Parts: sequence; C-alpha cells; structure tokens
Amino acid sequence: MTGLEKQMQARDTLPWPERVVRAVGAGRRLQYSLLAVLLAFGVAAFFIMLSGKNPLLAYWLMLRGAFGSADAISFALNKSTPYILAGVGVALCFRARVINIGGEGQIAVGGICTTWVALHCGAWPGPLPIVLSLVAGALGGALWSGIAALLRIWRGVNEVISTLMLNFVGLLMVGEVLNGPMGEVGAGFPQSPVVPDSAFLPIIWPGSDLHIGILMALVLCAIGAMLLWRTPFGFGLRLIGASEPAARYAGVSLARSMLLVMLLAGALAGTAGGVEVLGVQYRLIEGFSVGFGFKAVAVALLGRLDPLAVIPAGLFFGFVEAGALAMQREIGVPSSLVNVIQGLTMVFVLCSIGLDKRRKRV
Amino acid sequence: MTAMLEMHAISKRFGSVHANHAIDLTVPAGRIVALLGENGSGKSTLMKLLFGIVRPDSGTIVFKGRELAAQSPKEAIAAGIGMIHQHFMLVESMSVVDNVMLGWPAAGRWLRRTEMATRIREASVRFGLELEPEQLVRDLPFGARQRVEIIKAILRGADLLILDEPTSNLSAPEVSSLMAVMRRLKDEGRSVIFISHKLGEVMEVCDEGIVLRNGRVVSQFEVGSVTRAQLARMMVDRDLDGTSPRAERPKGDGVLEVEHLTLSDGQGRTLLKDICFTLREGEILALAGVDGNGQTELVETLAGLRSPSSGMIALAGTDITAASTKARLAAGLAYIPVDRASTSIVPAMTIEDNLAMRDYMSRPWRRGILLDRHAFREQALAYIAEFGIACTGPAVTADALSGGNQQKIVLARELGRRPRVLLAAQPTWGLDPGATRFVIDQMLALRNSGAAVLYISAELEEVLMIGDRIGVLSAGRLEGIVPRSEVDLTAIGMMMAGAARERALGNDRRDANR
Amino acid sequence: MSFTLNQAELGGFLASTVRVASPLLLAGLGGVLCESAGTFAVCIEGMMLMGAFAGAVVAYLTSSVVFGIVASMLGGACVGVLVAVCTGRFRTDHMVTGLAINILVLGLTSFLLRGMFGGQAPNIRMPPLAPWTVPLLSRIPLIGPALFKQPLLTCAAFLAVLPLQLLLRRTQLGLMLRSTGENPTAVFATGANPAAIRAWAIIAGGVFAGLGGAVLSLQELGTFTDGMTNGRGFIALAAVLIGRWLPVRTMLACLLFGATNAIGMSMQGWSLPVNSYVIQMMPYLIALGVLCCFGRSTRMPAALGTSVSTH
Repeated sequence: MTGLEKQMQARDTLPWPERVVRAVGAGRRLQYSLLAVLLAFGVAAFFIMLSGKNPLLAYWLMLRGAFGSADAISFALNKSTPYILAGVGVALCFRARVINIGGEGQIAVGGICTTWVALHCGAWPGPLPIVLSLVAGALGGALWSGIAALLRIWRGVNEVISTLMLNFVGLLMVGEVLNGPMGEVGAGFPQSPVVPDSAFLPIIWPGSDLHIGILMALVLCAIGAMLLWRTPFGFGLRLIGASEPAARYAGVSLARSMLLVMLLAGALAGTAGGVEVLGVQYRLIEGFSVGFGFKAVAVALLGRLDPLAVIPAGLFFGFVEAGALAMQREIGVPSSLVNVIQGLTMVFVLCSIGLDKRRKRV
Repeated sequence: MTAMLEMHAISKRFGSVHANHAIDLTVPAGRIVALLGENGSGKSTLMKLLFGIVRPDSGTIVFKGRELAAQSPKEAIAAGIGMIHQHFMLVESMSVVDNVMLGWPAAGRWLRRTEMATRIREASVRFGLELEPEQLVRDLPFGARQRVEIIKAILRGADLLILDEPTSNLSAPEVSSLMAVMRRLKDEGRSVIFISHKLGEVMEVCDEGIVLRNGRVVSQFEVGSVTRAQLARMMVDRDLDGTSPRAERPKGDGVLEVEHLTLSDGQGRTLLKDICFTLREGEILALAGVDGNGQTELVETLAGLRSPSSGMIALAGTDITAASTKARLAAGLAYIPVDRASTSIVPAMTIEDNLAMRDYMSRPWRRGILLDRHAFREQALAYIAEFGIACTGPAVTADALSGGNQQKIVLARELGRRPRVLLAAQPTWGLDPGATRFVIDQMLALRNSGAAVLYISAELEEVLMIGDRIGVLSAGRLEGIVPRSEVDLTAIGMMMAGAARERALGNDRRDANR
Repeated sequence: MSFTLNQAELGGFLASTVRVASPLLLAGLGGVLCESAGTFAVCIEGMMLMGAFAGAVVAYLTSSVVFGIVASMLGGACVGVLVAVCTGRFRTDHMVTGLAINILVLGLTSFLLRGMFGGQAPNIRMPPLAPWTVPLLSRIPLIGPALFKQPLLTCAAFLAVLPLQLLLRRTQLGLMLRSTGENPTAVFATGANPAAIRAWAIIAGGVFAGLGGAVLSLQELGTFTDGMTNGRGFIALAAVLIGRWLPVRTMLACLLFGATNAIGMSMQGWSLPVNSYVIQMMPYLIALGVLCCFGRSTRMPAALGTSVSTH
C-alpha cells in the first residue's frame, strides 16, 4: 500500500460502508494499472510508426471501432464477458497464492459440457435448457480445475504446471469430441450442430447481439467481491495471501481453502465457456477458447486481484480487441497489435507489482 | 610468538545500539579461544566485522602480521580466515566434493573431481572428519554437514577458523568428534575462535577466552585458572530489578499437563526431549534459555501448529494432543507467537481484522454465512479502549502502528478472550521499556485473575522478574523448575549454558571410551 | 487388425521421429539451461517463435540462411533479455511473466510480419534446408537415414546434447549454474553474483530456443506463419520435466514425443484405431503422469521460481 493510501485510511474514523472504502482503496492501486496501460499504448504506438502508419489515427479508429455504434458496443461487451467471468475466478485464486492458469482448459471443458446438455435438453420447458446447460458448464470447469487442485493436495504437484498441461489436454478434447460424438455430420470443419433455440442466451438489447452474459458477469463479480470481503471463507483467502504462517495460526485449513477456491474458479471459467457457446457461437467450435485462459490471468492482474476491478479490466481487454478488428479493417494496421498491447500491459503491470514488493521490504 | 589475530578497540554501532564497544581480542597461533556471551552480547557482530560482512566504526584488525580491512567474505577467505556459520551454505542435492568445489578456482575450470576427492579424503583422515566425497549433503546428518563446511575452510587454506555456536544441534558423540577436529587443527598451528554459551564445552576444549556482555568485554580468562561456576556468574551477573509487588497466591489446580512430550524433525534431530510439567491456575511458569534450544518448538507444539512425535498434552483434564489450533483456542488456550512481523499480526490488514483474526469463524464476528462487520467494529473499539491501543481508528492498517501498539493488538486479541492458559513466546521482543512494562503488567494481571501463563523469554532478567516458578530450556530439555524463592543465579546460568547436559555428555563419553 | 511394416517404412518412421524431435530438443536444451539456474522457462514458446520469425525474415531479406540462423539466435536472446530484466530486476513472477511475453511475441511477430512489409505479409518461400548425407554411415539400414541424413540444425541439436551435459556436470561454470538454481545464497557466499548467472542462463536459453524456432521456419517449412510454434515450447517444457532437467534425458523425452507425433502422422497407413487428438495429448498426459509419480520432487532445482535477493 502506498503512503497515500495509508494517509487516506488513517483519516477514516467514520463507519463508512466497507465496500466503498475497499473500492477507493482499489482505485489507488488501479492508478498503477492505468499507468501500465498507457505505457503499453505508448510502446505499441512506436511499433505502429515502424510499420509506417499514424498511431494517433490508428488509436482513434480503434476507439471508434469499439464505441462507435450500438452494434460495436454490444460486440465489445460480449467479448469482455468471458474475460470478466474467468478473470474474477483467477483473481480469487491468486489472492490465496494459488496460481491457476488453467482457464483455457476449464473454459474448453465447460463449453463441451454446456453443448452436450444443450443438445440433449432442448425440448425441456422454460428456462431449463439454458440453466441446465450453464450449470453443466460450470460443473465441467470445476471438474477440470479440481483435478489440478487434488493433484496438488495429494501428490504435491505444482498447480501451475498441472493447470498448464491440462489446458492443452482440454483443448484437444474439444477437437476430439467434435470429430466424434458431437461433431456435425457433413460439416467440413470441426463443429457441433447448432444448439436448439431454447438454449440461446436471451438478448438484452433488442436489435443487437448483446446477450445476458454481461449481466451475469457483473452479478458474479459482485458476489465474488462479497465473498472476498464479507464471508469467513474470503477472510481466510486473504489471510493465506497475506501470510501462510498467520493463516495457520488463525486456524485456516490451507488445503481446504485451496480446493474450494480452485473449484470456484473452474466453475466460473466453465460458465464463461458455456456463455461463449450459448451466446455467441451457438455451437461448439474447435479452438473457441484459445487465448481466453491467459487473458483471464492478465485481467485478474490488471484489476489487482479485486473482483470489482476485474470488471473494468475485462472491459478494457474486450473493447481493445473489438476496436482492433475495426482498426485493421479501416487502415490496415494488423489486429495482432492487440496481443502486443495486451502482452505489454501485462508485463508493465507485473513490473509494477514487483516494484511494490521491493518497496514493501524496505 | 606473534599473535595470529589482534583485534584492537573495535567499536560498532547500529543506529542507537552499541553492538561492540572498544573490544580487544587476541588469538595466538595454535590456540583455541572462546568467545562467550548471551544473545545480544555482541558476539555475532564482532565476527561479522572480522569476516568482512560489516565494517567497524573504529579499531584495527591485524591478521598474521598484516592489517586486515576485509570488504567482503571473499577477501577474508583469501587472507586465511574461515567461518563456519550456524546456517550452512551448502547445496543439499549435491555431493560433498561438488560443494567443496563450488566457486573454488583451484578446482579448475574443468572440474578435477578425482583429485579433489583424494584431497578431501586426505584432509578427512588428517583431521578426523570422516567424510566421503561422493555422499550427498542431503543424506548427511547435521554434524556431518558442519564438517563439510569445515573441510571447505581448511582446503581453502584457512589458518583461523571461526566456529559460531557449532554445537547447538549436535548429538553428544558429534560434539566429541568436533572437539577432536579442533584439537587436530590446533596441533597443526591453526587457531580456532569458538563462539558459544556452553560452559562445559568451553572448559573442555578451549585454552583461553573472553566474556562479552552488552557489547563490552567483561572478563578475560585462561581456562586452567577459572572455574565453571565463576564463568557462569560472569555471563549472567546482573542486578535484579525491583520486582513488581505480587500477591502471593495459593497453589491452584493443574490446568495444563504436559507429559513426555517429544518432537523430532524429518531429519532425525530431536527438537524436544521428554518434556514434562504441570501448569497451575494463577501462576506464571517462566522458562529461560538461549534462542534455539526448543522454545519455539515447544509453544508451537502446545498451540497445535506442530504435531509431537510422542507424549500427551491435557487442558483441564481433556486430552488435546491431537486437537486442531481452533479447537485448542475454543478450549481456552491462547498463544502469542514470537514472530510479530508475519504470524501474530498481518501488517497489511486493518486493526479490526487483526483483532478478529483468530475468531472470525465464530460468533459474534460471524453471522450465518456472512461476516458481521458491525460486530468487527464494535469488538475492535472495545479492545482498543480496554488495552489502550494508540491509533486513529480501527480501520487503519496495522503496519502504521508502533511495535508496542502492534503487540497490544496481539495482547488484546489473546487476553481479551479471558483464556484459561496463555502461551507467551518472547512477548516483549523488540519493544521499548514502556511497552515492555505494559506487557508484563498484563501478564501479571492475567495471572492474578486465575489463569495460567507459560512465559518464554531469552531475557533472563524478565524471566526472573515475572515467574512464580522458573525453569530453563536447554537443548530441547526442560531443566530444573524451581520456585521463585529458591532461585540460584549461578545454577540457572549453568543450566542455560548446558551444564546438566554436559554432565550427561560426560557420562556418554566415559561410556563410549570404556 | 493387422499391419505390416517394411524396413523402408520403419526407417522413414525413425527419420521422422528424429526430425520432429529436433525443434523440441533445441527448445528443451534452452529450457534446461534456464531452469537449472532457477527461472521457470514458460517463456521458451515466445523465444522459439521470435527465433522462427527473425530467422525467416532475415534469411528472406539477405538471401542467406547463415544470417537467418544467427538472427534466430539473436531473436531468442532478445526475448531472454526481456525475461531476465523482468524476473531479475523487477522480481516478477516467472510463470506469469513467461505467459505475458509469449502473448507479446505472438502479437509482435504477426504484426511486424505485415507491418514491415507495407501491410501485407510477404510471400516468403524459401527452400527448406537440405539434409546432409554422411557417406557410408547413412547407408546403414533402418537407423542410417534417421541418424546420418538430417539437415544442419537437426544435427546441431543432437550434437549439442552431450557437450551441454558435460558442461553442466563437469565444469565449474555448470556447477555454479546448477547451484544458483539450488541455493543462490551458497553461490553468493563464494563471491559470485547469482542474479547475473541467472540472467545469462536465461539468455543462453533464449539462444537455444530461438534456434529451435529456426528449425521450424528455415528447416521445415521455409516460411513463417503466425503462431507457428503452436505450443511446441510447452511440449519442450514437458520434456524438460520428464527429463528431470538433464540434457540427455530431455533428448530421450523429445524423441519420445517425436515418436508419438510420427505415429499419429502415419496412423492412416497403419489403420490403428487411435484418435489423432489423443496422440497429440500424449506429451501432456505423460508429463502429468511423471509429475504424479515424482510428486514432491527431489530432483527439481530447489530454488526454481524464487527471486534472488541481493544480500
């Protein structure tokens, strides 16, 4: 925490609502994230110039492409949704010193489960198809993350390596399943049949593609925040993150906390996969989840592990991607610039976290 | 014969602390010199100065006739000084020979393993070190690892070896081996500085020595012309402070019973040996002892953070040997850990969160599945008022507070629950006199209200001031618990210096030599 | 189900195994260097990709394969410098930094491929490196073509294994490197600088990994395509894990993966009822299996993933 935060908190003697205090506190830390984003755009601008284009024009087009119309905004919001969902799960994990980078695989398996249930329960009444499909997705993702958690608890396997390996296995399983039982016969491309209409996520902005996923993401982030700051479980997570000896002294079961937080993160990622299937693609497509997992980590870090701050971080990623596609269309600046910006942002955020650690020691 | 080492008028300050004050130390060639003193007497600083880890503020060091101004351990090593630290700098997964060769130019760019192995075997035989070059350090017992460090120093040409508390973790036969090694070094004309607080060992192997207290030399002695008792007195001699008035209390019932508590670590070392005692209501049992003799292990085992290898712990008649930390807390066992930086307090969390840290899973802090932040706030304000924690509010982070106030948080949390038994490990560590006074008063108040306190401290003064009964922890054993009225300073000094164990050691060695 | 194998097919299968294994091996050797000194080598995917890109572009621009190879090594080294600065000076988390840099390199290579050539990726079409035939030895039935009729970089990869193993286990330099990954404090006590050793190990790892990328772009395909490493860096990581951070064993693991890949590719010819996706999963599943067995590994460099404090 910076001196500024300390001063700010010191002046606080009135019983402010906890959430506001936390949000403002997070706001101070977010200023470093903002700095990282600006630096990333700056460096990327240099690369744009190298390729002979005008960076200011490029960024303007990116902005317009992301915000320019209702269609654009709804597209960007849809893109942000899985990042926010998976990001909040990763943020909770990182809080408890569990480095879960298995978002890719968890989203993939979640997508598989969602598609399977949707294809088979399309005839059921009311909202059941959607609800059951999403629940199946959550369970699938939780199963996937649970494997890594159990490997860590029972065999001491480092969860970073296991989630990494499981990512690839999960991705390949999607291809496996689409070339077999769930594949669409006659399609030249590994994909599943379209899910029944009853499983489509409802559109919340008539006339656009904006589906209910973004609202789900917002609600789940709020629940995540409440979990972290207002429940005994969340308190335990924060203790583990602050100091393991202190957590043990306080009677927290490290193994149990780790298992639960991993299951939760897996469920959230699985839901993200389900949302992608039921809200955007309407079917399972091979490779639909590529890159999501790592971006979830980036979003969690950018939001400094705060469930509420993950929202703007995820929106940032989604809007930048949406804008980049438009930018490529209009002046031919390759959309791979997005990866450059995202990668640079992550690097700068990581460096600022590292600097913080150094200052803390002094 | 010129002395090998002459340290003259060495002084060093760290901020306001005078670690060394005008210290003179002479080490002749072919002699084993003892550096005696308690924790905080300045021994380690003096050796750090010699070895180039820190620079002296004033004074001179003359080594082998030349002035030594070592800027780094590398230079000290090159000059011929070898230091065997308490914490070894060895790579566990590698062999003895690899560890010896690490960073040693003489081993060659292309490692001359067989040559080095031969040299290790030779030195091993010559000095009685019993080391096989291909053994993995990981598989070696503690004493053998120490000998690896010694052989490293010898092979690099050390004429002066500094052994820093070398016997703390050694078994009796290993101590004998070490002493034999030291004598062999002496025979070769090399010198040894033997840093210790163990009088028996000093008397057995050293030729002469100095005693440090509070950064000054209080005595120089020849081993032949001083008795153990005299040395003990020199180390612990101090005026007893006016003790606070204490009400005489009738003997209460036993509330914490510990029987045959033994704790071993994964490497075969026994950290606690057959500890037995009963803590009674309304009394403070104060245990003295130099750090590293099992204090932390004892309180952690009693608090539930470590599992004993054997033995039993009972609280008010109920067996809690296998109970969790939470369960023990619920049964009325409070614990103040020694580590304030990261265990008893989380500096980055707010005061009210710290106050709730051990109880947030029960009412009133928790209501159903949610935390009751209102209750957090109220409890915090109550504790702040009761214990006078100086802060601007409960929502401030704990790292903004002074050490004394941080300790008040711990006290408020542990004492505020009106425990039956309190385990306090070095609760006044790092506190100024005012805060220390406060802590001690709280301990006494708790005792007067009928609770039992197990108080562990490395400060002998404090132990003597606060305990109704006083004991000593030495090498994992609980030595001699005596009531306050029967305290004999000399006896305590000897117990702290491991005299009782020495007797046992002497017996072992006699048996081994038969 | 029956299948017949004639000698030619088996020989071809072996040759294919060796060929597929070579980029993995180079990246794996880079990973061994990097991790032996204590830094998680999640970044080798990015180092490989940068090497592939630099190699292809420079070879295309200069019409010289040699310059291309040198460029690939420099490209990998540059990524290594970035990783070293972040994990060393800024003490960032190794794993997450590696991931971030992988994404950065993915975007940067694709972007520069188009950006440097006026918005359109150039049609790089270079002849893949021809195999070098060792006279006589390559006529040995079965293993002849596999071992003695391979292109330059493959030969280099396999020839580098033994020297690297000797370096690590028999020289003072290797001893210091491995000790940095086990106990940096011990290294510091000898007067050396463990932080510098780590940095150089990362950069050396980048050189190897970059070379591995050059295998893909210069030797195999003769061009650069977006994200062409396609997870090979992570397979190499799995190989390092299975090979317990030893060059020779890592090579064996890479050959194993090369074999599973070759099996998958010639699957049709053999009519085996095994799915190609499962084959592709093998490296990862095997790695997980090994991890399970060795769980709390005593072989892993003890200081892997930690930061080096300069006290």
